[in-house]
Amino acid sequence: MEIEVAQEKLARALNVVSRVAVGAKSTLPILSNVMIKVDSGKVSLTTTNLDMAVVDYVPVINAKDGVITVPARLLAEFVQNLPRGEKITISTDGVKVKTSAGKYSSTINGAIADDFPELPEINEEKAVIYKMGVDEFKAGLSQVVIAASGDTTRPSLTGVYFNTADESLFVAATDGYRLAERKFIEKVKSEVAAIVPTSSLQEVLRSIPEEADEIEILFDDNQVRFRAAEIEVTSKLIDGTFPDYRQLIPKDNEVKIEVDRNELNRIVKIAALFARESNRAITCETDAEKKVFSVSSISNEVGENKSEIETEVEKTGKVKLDSRFLIDALNALTEEKVKIEFALSSAPVLVTNAKSKDYRHIIMPLNV
Amino acid sequence: MFDVWKNVLAEVEQAIPASAFATWFKDVSLASISPDGVVTIKTPNVFKEGQIRKKYDDVIRDALKRNGVKFTDVTYIVSGEQRIKPRSREISREEISRVNDGAAKAPVSDNIASSAPRNTKRGFASSSFNSSSRFESGLNPAYTMDNFVIGSNNDVAAAIAQRVVKDPGGRYNPFYLYGGPGLGKTHLVQAIGNALQAEHPEFKIAYVPTNSFYNEFISDLKSRQADKFTKKYQSVDALIIDDIQMIMGKDATQNAFFDIFNELQQHGKQVIITSDRLPDQLEQLDPRLTSRLASGGSFDIQLPKFEDKCAILRVKADYDAVEIEDEAIEYIANMVKTNVRDLEGEYKKILAFAEFKGITPLAVINSGMVSSGSSSHKNVVSPRHVVDTVAKCLNLTVKEMCGKSRVAHIKTARQIAMYLLSEELGMSTTKIALEVGVKDHTTVMHGIKKIREDIKCDFALREQVASIREEVYA
Repeated sequence: MEIEVAQEKLARALNVVSRVAVGAKSTLPILSNVMIKVDSGKVSLTTTNLDMAVVDYVPVINAKDGVITVPARLLAEFVQNLPRGEKITISTDGVKVKTSAGKYSSTINGAIADDFPELPEINEEKAVIYKMGVDEFKAGLSQVVIAASGDTTRPSLTGVYFNTADESLFVAATDGYRLAERKFIEKVKSEVAAIVPTSSLQEVLRSIPEEADEIEILFDDNQVRFRAAEIEVTSKLIDGTFPDYRQLIPKDNEVKIEVDRNELNRIVKIAALFARESNRAITCETDAEKKVFSVSSISNEVGENKSEIETEVEKTGKVKLDSRFLIDALNALTEEKVKIEFALSSAPVLVTNAKSKDYRHIIMPLNV
Repeated sequence: MFDVWKNVLAEVEQAIPASAFATWFKDVSLASISPDGVVTIKTPNVFKEGQIRKKYDDVIRDALKRNGVKFTDVTYIVSGEQRIKPRSREISREEISRVNDGAAKAPVSDNIASSAPRNTKRGFASSSFNSSSRFESGLNPAYTMDNFVIGSNNDVAAAIAQRVVKDPGGRYNPFYLYGGPGLGKTHLVQAIGNALQAEHPEFKIAYVPTNSFYNEFISDLKSRQADKFTKKYQSVDALIIDDIQMIMGKDATQNAFFDIFNELQQHGKQVIITSDRLPDQLEQLDPRLTSRLASGGSFDIQLPKFEDKCAILRVKADYDAVEIEDEAIEYIANMVKTNVRDLEGEYKKILAFAEFKGITPLAVINSGMVSSGSSSHKNVVSPRHVVDTVAKCLNLTVKEMCGKSRVAHIKTARQIAMYLLSEELGMSTTKIALEVGVKDHTTVMHGIKKIREDIKCDFALREQVASIREEVYA
């Protein structure tokens, strides 16, 4: 096998794939390697950690067929330290991998590719395929992943739930305290309901090249594949059921207000300062007579605080929330005005943009 | 069988490097050995499945052989994959009667439909509903006789439905089913359709909601193909028309339906009709049609009683394979007084919260997360409200109804009020006497007994009481 490739191309590709490779102390050492494969002149770099795999197709100057694996991090760091613009040549001699660029050269001990796990195949004819713009994908997903849980005792909440309803594709995530849902694509024909691990999605978000315009998402029964430009990320799906979350979204709330997002963000942050010892609990109140929405917090040691925003209020109500969750929700929203709805009970609080209905965030109130 | 698997694993461990064993065979287990000798091995994810299938298949086969397992083939699955298939287990009759004290099944109505797609998780429904070659029946396969829970509120209707399946076009033709919204009419008639299709695969069965029926009629009429429309429906072996009351006042559609109906009747084809009222209460309907609709007998579905509601929820929970405490089921059954659709709405909501918070359904109820909102007020109805509603529904003033009049219809109204106060609020007869302004509790006892007896045989009265009850909780 032999490859001639520009330094920046190889460095970028290695940078993407080496993140997925497992650290050297894994039970299966070959998982810390990257597989370099040249098949009919097409060069691919592959790494996997058995939960997911990344393949990057690298544009090269010249290539001769063959396949080898080498420690991913070592090769990546070596290539990164080479001067930009150099032409790199990688060639194999048995399992020895010689990498040279001008005055620099190194020989790394590789391993034969036979032991490298084969990638799961996706039957593209049977798979459900969605296509969307990379920018919407990135923006939408980052609005949702914030709500995913890190608690591995409830695996189904550690992922993002891709699901279809009313001919639209939605993504949703929850940790049992709050839930975020975003409409992804309208008018889709095929249906899906699958939980994709958050870790895999974060890798997808990091790996998508700047120049990619469109991302393709392929689901089959057990796995999902994201494809953008020359990158392909394949991930297992989480086995489990996601809560029937549409049932949780309150339908007719008694209290509804619309306020300026930045203004609200400011007063919530202020209230959070006084809520540090009360589990970040802040109290949101509406007063129908004075037409104000107020946020307050009390700390026995430090003192207390209350800020108000004037707005249209029809009903007086009160709800206690975790300030961090509210701040997260406000940061995920995009419009100038936001809408907050809650009931006069311990039902979930709904936070949305004032106009667009594409993104919904719900937060469970704290017990008063 | 699973002891053998331990030995097989031990053999495999010997045969391959320790690191490979630790990586690939952790959490790999034996799923099953089928009677014809197919060994199914369960792997934790798709990466491991591929690797084991490609690289270690020989090793596993060797190890199986050496442990004396006779097999014809070895297959691999990814855990969770089997869940793609619906988890519904066949609900046997014995089981139902156990839950429901001999009474048996009831409408798990349209929500079974929504739980079925849930079970076909990661499903690709678009591809699986490809029956283009077959006649487009409009039937939803999720509605079956097996998941229709029979209780005292619908046992007659269900029994007749079974007869219709056995003898289509026979004695109960047309089969006319009526009842309030959300009680499972659609479920039952769809189940008949599905059962008929299963018994007679060659049957052309058409299920049409009345509004689709006349929309189709109108569009065919526009394109001057009214003939095509009539022919299409005259050629079916069983026609199911849902919510026939929607045809009221639509004369042209009625005529078309009349023709189709007659043609089907003459050829002994089954016609099944649902409605929210009795045939003779359908207004603006051709009398010829009314009498024909009633000719096969009319059967009703009532509001389920407490025990029926519990049975419905239990069957549904089993179907969804979810854990739910008896207390939680009783709470839901007690709280929702309107219909089965609302009952399931509440059930789904509580389960969603349970899954979301990672707690049991009962804990959700106790925490008060769902108690308020839409349904709690249904629980608290004042006696005054009941009396007012009864009077309003029967076009009387409260003063008239609670007066001394012995006029028959006013007396009946008074008795209905007594009956509802006793049944719904559990009030003592003495208190009821004060509420409706009668002399003493014996009059009340008589009134309640009278209504209780009468609704057994008087369909119209039964309907009336049911609709008032719904109004009370609306």
